Amino acid sequence: MPNRLELTGITKQFPGVLANDHVSFAVKPGEIHALLGENGAGKSTLVKMIYGIMQPDAGEIRWNGEPVVVANPKAARKLGIGMVFQHFSLFEALTVLENIALGMDAKIPSRELESRIRAVMETYGLALDPHRTVATLSVGERQRIEIVRALLLDPQLLIMDEPTSVLTPQEVEQLFTVLRTLAAEGCSILYISHKLHEIKALCDTATILRGGKLVDTCDPKQETSRSMAEKMIGTGLKDIVKAEGGAFGPPKLVVNRLSTIKTGHFDVAVDDVSFTVRAGEILGVAGVAGNGQNALLDALSGELIGDDREAITIDGFGIGMMNTTQRRKQGLCAVPEERNGHAAVGDFSLSDNSVLTARDRLGMVVLGLINSGAAKTYTGKVIADFAVKALGPASTAGSLSGGNLQKYIMGREILQKPSVLVVSQPTWGVDAGAAAAIHQALVDLAAAGSAIVVISQDLDELRALCDTLAVINMGRLSATRPVKDFSVEEIGLLMGGVHGSMETA
Amino acid sequence: MMRFRLEKRPEPSKLMLYGTPVAAVVLTMILGCLLFSAIGYNGLRAVQEIFFTPLTNPYKWQDLGIKAAPLIIIGTGLSVAYRANVWNIGAEGQYIIGALAATGVALFTWGMSGWWILPLMAIAGMVGGMAYASIPAFLKTRLNVNEILTSLMLTYASVQVIYYLIRGPWKDPMGIGFPQSRLFSEAARLPNIIPGTIVHLGVPIAVIVALIAWFVMSKTVFGYRMRVVGAAPHAARYGGFSENKTIWLAMLVSGGLAGLAGMLEVAGPFQRMVPGFPTNYGFTAIIVAFLGRLNPLGVIVAGVVLAITFVGGQVAQTTIGLPDEATGIFQAMMLFLLLAGDILVRYRIRRISPEASAGAA
Repeated sequence: MPNRLELTGITKQFPGVLANDHVSFAVKPGEIHALLGENGAGKSTLVKMIYGIMQPDAGEIRWNGEPVVVANPKAARKLGIGMVFQHFSLFEALTVLENIALGMDAKIPSRELESRIRAVMETYGLALDPHRTVATLSVGERQRIEIVRALLLDPQLLIMDEPTSVLTPQEVEQLFTVLRTLAAEGCSILYISHKLHEIKALCDTATILRGGKLVDTCDPKQETSRSMAEKMIGTGLKDIVKAEGGAFGPPKLVVNRLSTIKTGHFDVAVDDVSFTVRAGEILGVAGVAGNGQNALLDALSGELIGDDREAITIDGFGIGMMNTTQRRKQGLCAVPEERNGHAAVGDFSLSDNSVLTARDRLGMVVLGLINSGAAKTYTGKVIADFAVKALGPASTAGSLSGGNLQKYIMGREILQKPSVLVVSQPTWGVDAGAAAAIHQALVDLAAAGSAIVVISQDLDELRALCDTLAVINMGRLSATRPVKDFSVEEIGLLMGGVHGSMETA
Repeated sequence: MMRFRLEKRPEPSKLMLYGTPVAAVVLTMILGCLLFSAIGYNGLRAVQEIFFTPLTNPYKWQDLGIKAAPLIIIGTGLSVAYRANVWNIGAEGQYIIGALAATGVALFTWGMSGWWILPLMAIAGMVGGMAYASIPAFLKTRLNVNEILTSLMLTYASVQVIYYLIRGPWKDPMGIGFPQSRLFSEAARLPNIIPGTIVHLGVPIAVIVALIAWFVMSKTVFGYRMRVVGAAPHAARYGGFSENKTIWLAMLVSGGLAGLAGMLEVAGPFQRMVPGFPTNYGFTAIIVAFLGRLNPLGVIVAGVVLAITFVGGQVAQTTIGLPDEATGIFQAMMLFLLLAGDILVRYRIRRISPEASAGAA
């Protein structure tokens, strides 16, 4: 039996980078094949060429043994290739059925389409009401629409791009069941991820890319997560060094019944949130994206100014009605999730970006004049201490890769030695080596007596990094408990909104 | 078939940033030449008279100076506001109200003498311009009304204020019925700085204003605020710069400088308020601000370029009978070409060779 998909010598050059360098591998019928690699390793480019969004500069794609040219996504679907993207393309105001109808190449009468959708959902256990409006659905349910949309075409190969990054552990388990059923019926699956334990649990084969090159094709069940991670990043991994049994200091950041006002139609506000972070403690806030994390960060950083001075206190001092500048002077620094355009200005030099948040704490302003020398020196220190790959303080923030920019931003805040640091997605899109460095810097900052809040969707990160954990769901925060007391299942249930057991506990 | 596509540059091109204004001026000359040839004028002569005669004829240099001065002062203020994405289109109105406030001081102190009269007029001019600019600022920050519309519409209201004042309370008693104010006293007129010419104190003031603005924009927290709000409003909020305060500052600075220009103009060349006082300097200064890359030093150069088209337009009227509107057409063409060319700062044009894409497909 020929391979379902076979790539030989696929090469793709972009201005300045070789995104794929002679990549060759094969996917057998019914195989769940992982495509593994850091951000920027070339995974996305590779699948875009398989799905016809881009054309390779060189190399050959064989489909069921025959050489093919995939001119565009429509041609790919015609061959039997389906793809579920990381970012969904759904119209929030339309129903599930309408969204699926819009995505079909052929016009199908809506009654027939509905019965076909129901049949597919029945077969694979994908529960979903075709007449519900997308805006009312959870992220996991939205992903099911995309999967149903792909399955309606009876694909022989289904490409899943980072499908679990927004799902709760329970939703991940349901997804895996669907994928295993599909594979058992002979549909091949190309599964893109950087979550190693998922790949170990799900996949038959893993192809690892690094810097556009194929590093290894291996059986993930024979490998450890660590060995695969080291192949992915190319060097040994460092563990977080954490002092054991250190007692926490007195309460530093106390949040008491904090609420925000909903700003946009699809925004989720923070609703009556209370928690305490002690000196030396790292508190993790877990949750599925879009459950009020952004509002929580804005309310803590001062971008959203509340009307209760005592709702947020640092060392007992009320800062709830202060703006970001005043809060920074009180020792609270924050890093929002979005790097470019929020945490940093792409068109500005790194030096000028340091002025954005460090100008008052580090005396970069004298009588309204900016001391550009001080900004430059500080920026140079951030670049050196956090191993930021940049030409120097004069490089524009926009010219840095996502991971390097994140290292710079985290360094800019951490080296200010804030007494309270609030960060959202500190290692999102950052390679494993850099992520380890950022984690270590956060641990060291806490060890020096700061209180830290880490808002993240990455459970592995939170479990490795944090001392205590709380879960945010629809703007409400669960009680805080030591991270060791949580099982993955329990966190998952909380992320999905099951609060009852927690509140009585 | 050759195909082209726009491709984002990794970093904005410095060459294009400074090259496009030059290219826009050159293209304006070429297209203007073709356009006026097509409608039956001597196109080459038109371009020559408009763009080169003011430079080659030393007698015209003083005209350039006094035309460029208000353009530079207003353009500097606008470049500060536009940096922060605050679109004050009504500088003409703020210029007029500033001039009226200065006129008020001049008429109130009529017949008096003293060194303090001119500074007082300058302060009145700036306060007048600021006050008029605070109407759109208030509407924007309180009710989120678009400042482009309000500031523009207020310009037309300000013209009516001139008409009312010089036909009514401020009408010249010796003016045999002409709708104009009386001639300012000696102490309320700007002194000439070069004897035997019409070059007044406003010309060096314009250069000084632009230099100060350049320093403030590049070295101070105020300038940083304007730049960061314009470049990334979300990041500005994160950095602790409130949007409303920035809108107020931008409107007050641009309005105040427009008002100062109005004072210098009424106390300099006009020396009285007349119905013909509004000469669209406030609108032309928009072109000056953009042609100068929203950089006060660039605004000095751009102010001179636009002054050339004003002076040259007048030359061309008398020598080859070009209509008065020709100047406006040239100026508008320049802004249009500049804005169109701006895309090349961030993007570059790439040729897609058909063989390559066919070969890959």
